[in-house]
Amino acid sequence: MAYKDFRDFLHTLEKEGQLLTISDEVKPEPDIAAANRALHNLGDKTPALFFNNIYGYTDARIAMNVMGSWPNHALMMGMPKNTPLKEQFFEFARRYEQFPMPVKREETAPFHEVEITEDINLFDILPLFRLNQGDGGFYLDKAILVSRDLDDPDTYGKQNVGLYRMQVKGKNRLGIQPVPQHDIAIHIRQAEERGENLKVAIALGCEPVITTAASTPLLYDQSEYEMAGAIQGEPYCVVKAKDADLDLPWGAEVILEGEVLAGEREYEGPFGEFTGHYSGGRAMPVIQINRVYHRKQPIFEHLYIGMPWTETDYMIGVNTSVPLFQQLKDAFPNEIVAVNAMYTHGLVAIISTKTRYGGFAKAVGMRALTTPHGLGYCKLVIVVDEDVDPFNLPQVMWALSTKLHPKHDAVIVPGLSILPLDPGSDPAGMTHKMILDATTPIAPDIRGHYSQPLDSPLGVAEWEEKLSHMLR
Amino acid sequence: MHICPRCESNRSEVVTRSPVKGAWEVLLCPVCMFTWRTSEPDSITDPAKYKSAFKVNPEDIPNAAHVPPIPERVQDRS
Repeated sequence: MAYKDFRDFLHTLEKEGQLLTISDEVKPEPDIAAANRALHNLGDKTPALFFNNIYGYTDARIAMNVMGSWPNHALMMGMPKNTPLKEQFFEFARRYEQFPMPVKREETAPFHEVEITEDINLFDILPLFRLNQGDGGFYLDKAILVSRDLDDPDTYGKQNVGLYRMQVKGKNRLGIQPVPQHDIAIHIRQAEERGENLKVAIALGCEPVITTAASTPLLYDQSEYEMAGAIQGEPYCVVKAKDADLDLPWGAEVILEGEVLAGEREYEGPFGEFTGHYSGGRAMPVIQINRVYHRKQPIFEHLYIGMPWTETDYMIGVNTSVPLFQQLKDAFPNEIVAVNAMYTHGLVAIISTKTRYGGFAKAVGMRALTTPHGLGYCKLVIVVDEDVDPFNLPQVMWALSTKLHPKHDAVIVPGLSILPLDPGSDPAGMTHKMILDATTPIAPDIRGHYSQPLDSPLGVAEWEEKLSHMLR
Repeated sequence: MHICPRCESNRSEVVTRSPVKGAWEVLLCPVCMFTWRTSEPDSITDPAKYKSAFKVNPEDIPNAAHVPPIPERVQDRS
């Protein structure tokens, strides 16, 4: 099932009791960010927030936390809102294998209603506001950005759709942070080596499925639009941009078209990041916006980001875990059971696997480090047995506390790559990484006393069924 | 002209005013690119109260690391 557009998904959230409208007047700062931070402190089943009475504005409407909980993530996939996380993971993995689903093309879109090409002022058009106190300015942090590979523009999968933080630094000017491990850095480099500007398009207020695909660490030549179709189970709807050969999400609220200015760097940041730390200030590329179009009375979607967990963590939890799961399964198809890479975008990853012989689990951990996502993340990989649920942290802690011998099972690999935003990396972008093997030693590794694992009383499964019915 | 709370340059300019007249203005500093709204708490708007850890020295800005570095032009790519 597909959501027609962003508003369609908001209607579903409302119908399911997962959208809370705040009609009392709020100040742009600090109220909106504070409300969202507070919401994240209240658990993992929270609703989206919709602000429609913002001090100083006449008709601004801001939606936040749209995918910031497990119920909202389940609804994104068209599943019942109370679907357990592990079930969401396996269903996401099943749909991931339906990739690629070809796109559906349209000639026009609702966002063509209003078009601006002269005297663009993003501060007038968008209700921008500060998120965290040390932020260097107002950001777009839940917009998707579309760009093309210049060396191979005809390979559809190399058109990139990604989520990047963008600081609004002038009336028609944005700053962008291209993390080297992400695809946009490749496109910017191609353009700058030619001395050309890179055409880009930015979409705000999208259906959650394209935001999910855009934040999934797909392989470089895999199309996010074709993955969005796979996840929603029917072709994803796109329309052409006007100034470049780029596809845009049909259901977006606002589109900005522009170009990354070749060879230009400008002070950007700091920005409060998903690591729970500010990024620091650096000189980064600049995007000039040449054309804006939007729906009448557009809804501005934004995302509070900060110390985990926030909406980001729900948004990139399952969809970070699944590519790692699939890539590990490519190497070890009969062993890998599940992967939980939900912690700080996979800086920590937990892998559940069967083991074929002594030392096998450490090889699984090493493979995780060399997956495309692992190159920039996976600083700590914990490997557990097949009977440990990696999404159940008490079980993972049990495995660590009883299966791991620090002398044999803690492996440190020095001098590997990591995303520069990791505040512990030194220099930024470099780190040692660690594998913790919390699987049970098997031959020829004959360490420890593991021949008498505790089993359960007979009949537990029947009692689970019986009691769960009695508790309903 | 206004004083930037972060780098204390005096070159900041108004980039927008509130649709409801008189509620607030948004200012932008062209030196350190800091943006703020005049209705924000004074820990953001007042140069004397802006957190010291986040202050920016204008002299450091030209030396900020390029992320990513600007690559060399490659002649046969154009």
